[in-house]
Amino acid sequence: MAAPAIAARGIVRTSEARRAGAGFWSDAWWRLRHDPTTMIAISVIVLLVVLAASADLLADNFFKWSFSRQDLTQSYRKPTLDDPAFWFGADNLGRSQIVRLLYGARVSLFVGFFGMLVTMTIGVTMGVTSGYFRGKWDDVVVWLVSTLNSIPTFFLLLIIGFMFRLNAIVLPLFLGALGWLGICNLARGQTFSLRERDYVTAARTIGASHTRIMFRHIFPNVIPLLIVIAMIDVGGLILTESALSFLGFGIQPPQPSWGNMLSDAPQFYFRGAHLIYFPGILISITVLCAYLIGDGLRDALDPRLRGSFSADK
Amino acid sequence: MGRFVARRLLQAIPTMFGIMLVSFILLRVSPADPVKLMVPSDTEITEADKDRLRAAFGLDKPLPVQFIDFTVQAATLDFGKSFYYHRPARDMIFERIPNSIQPVVLGLLVGVFLGIPLGFIAALNRGRRTDHGIRVTSVVLNATPDFFLGLLFVLFLAIQFKWFPIGSMNVVGVDCTLCWDRAWHLVGPVLLYANAGIAFYPRLIRTEVLEVLGQDFVRTARAKGLRERVVMSGHVLRNALIPVVTNFGGILTIVFAGNVIVERVFNWPGLGRLFFDSLIQKDYPIIQASLVMGAGLLLISYILRDITYALIDPRIKVR
Repeated sequence: MAAPAIAARGIVRTSEARRAGAGFWSDAWWRLRHDPTTMIAISVIVLLVVLAASADLLADNFFKWSFSRQDLTQSYRKPTLDDPAFWFGADNLGRSQIVRLLYGARVSLFVGFFGMLVTMTIGVTMGVTSGYFRGKWDDVVVWLVSTLNSIPTFFLLLIIGFMFRLNAIVLPLFLGALGWLGICNLARGQTFSLRERDYVTAARTIGASHTRIMFRHIFPNVIPLLIVIAMIDVGGLILTESALSFLGFGIQPPQPSWGNMLSDAPQFYFRGAHLIYFPGILISITVLCAYLIGDGLRDALDPRLRGSFSADK
Repeated sequence: MGRFVARRLLQAIPTMFGIMLVSFILLRVSPADPVKLMVPSDTEITEADKDRLRAAFGLDKPLPVQFIDFTVQAATLDFGKSFYYHRPARDMIFERIPNSIQPVVLGLLVGVFLGIPLGFIAALNRGRRTDHGIRVTSVVLNATPDFFLGLLFVLFLAIQFKWFPIGSMNVVGVDCTLCWDRAWHLVGPVLLYANAGIAFYPRLIRTEVLEVLGQDFVRTARAKGLRERVVMSGHVLRNALIPVVTNFGGILTIVFAGNVIVERVFNWPGLGRLFFDSLIQKDYPIIQASLVMGAGLLLISYILRDITYALIDPRIKVR
């Protein structure tokens, strides 16, 4: 008699927390809410977005120091609590590091999220259409993917950075144009199996157009997988942007970015180690949070996939 | 097997064509005019002289003809002379290769031989502290930019503790490839390259080992009384290692990107450094040669990877 009682209690408890017959998305949201790591990661990213969005406001009213204002008497000033503008110290030109980091957050987050959107748009379009239509178009897409895959992307980006002056709008476009391969492969594979499903055949039988089948029947089923990859992608793009800017071929000064704040790092070795720690740690934290959100979403959207792809890939 | 290799090589031809096309379009049809790059902007040069320069480099011919010329030149690895050093770009690249290969190969080896056991240990201790520790470390390493790790290495181990040199290959006046001095200078770059493997392999192997452990053949092996060590090495590890081969391409692309960064952080005179310097100096032939040769190298390693994959995994049918 004990066993059914426990089982019954179990059922009661779960149905209290999760209403019966919850849909796919509310079910996923329930799991996400009960995953502290992911919730912390989401809060950190939200906090960074808020700070980045209010960079102008904070710089004018709170720190009272613009990102380009120089004061050579303050150069290499160590972090201090005396003056909010120098909480994180000053750089070699006496600019307030904390204000520059705020503006850098703008670049990193924008490049990460906008680049992800570009990547997704290209990757999903290519992947779904090639998987759906197959034939010649598929051959073309596969050729494009294998070609771009064999070109060292980072070399290509450096060359692009050397030919065009990249800013935070153009750079994500290029990152997206070169970074859609993985997503295309995933979407293509998914579409391959989805298009053989009965409901797709049913849709075709009642005369649904290709566009309608792709949009209404295939695309929605690719989304859960894509959301996970999207967050991992954001992290990867932020890393690439910072590496390009570090080498001097990404975001150009005077626009501060976490990467280009480190491009003069060798000058800082002896006089201002704080100029190396802060941008580097911020990049790591942001990327780490993006990866953790990706992992959390994966578990929330499909617990069966736990540990099977995304950052684990 | 012969048919598989032949097929794979045939498949590589359109890819190589695509690589040539991308490099050509990027470097010839782009707004950056090679002649403008070659001639410093403050030089007084007449349009007639510019045209003669263009003719000398074959830039006045129609684009399709230029593309064919470019392909033929690339096939013979003739990319012209460096604008800066007036030496063939090919030679300049070839003499840098040994410098880059040494840390890259060592780094990959360290990465593989640290990463794989770590993944294995994590899988066998699933859910315990060791497992969490290894996973957290590799996720954090994965999220940290390479250049930042390099800067931290220099900042702490080279400057603070003075254990290692700040950069370059040898102490001034010493020139050797296999000696203590070089080993000393190698530590930083090798660790940085190894990071790709340490951040990547443990999670890959862990997932794979856990999956293999749940398979029927492992249960059978245990049921017929094989010793746990034999099951692990013969059945589990062998199967779990397959994705290490398939994912090697990913590691190689990381190494290519990492090469530029590592050699910049540690001031290492290798290929990445040459590429970086030629970008700064707008040394067009070297940029072009690096891109085409880099892509060719990547393509060759992909082919080798696929062949190895077919060799170790008989499930891959020769199609």
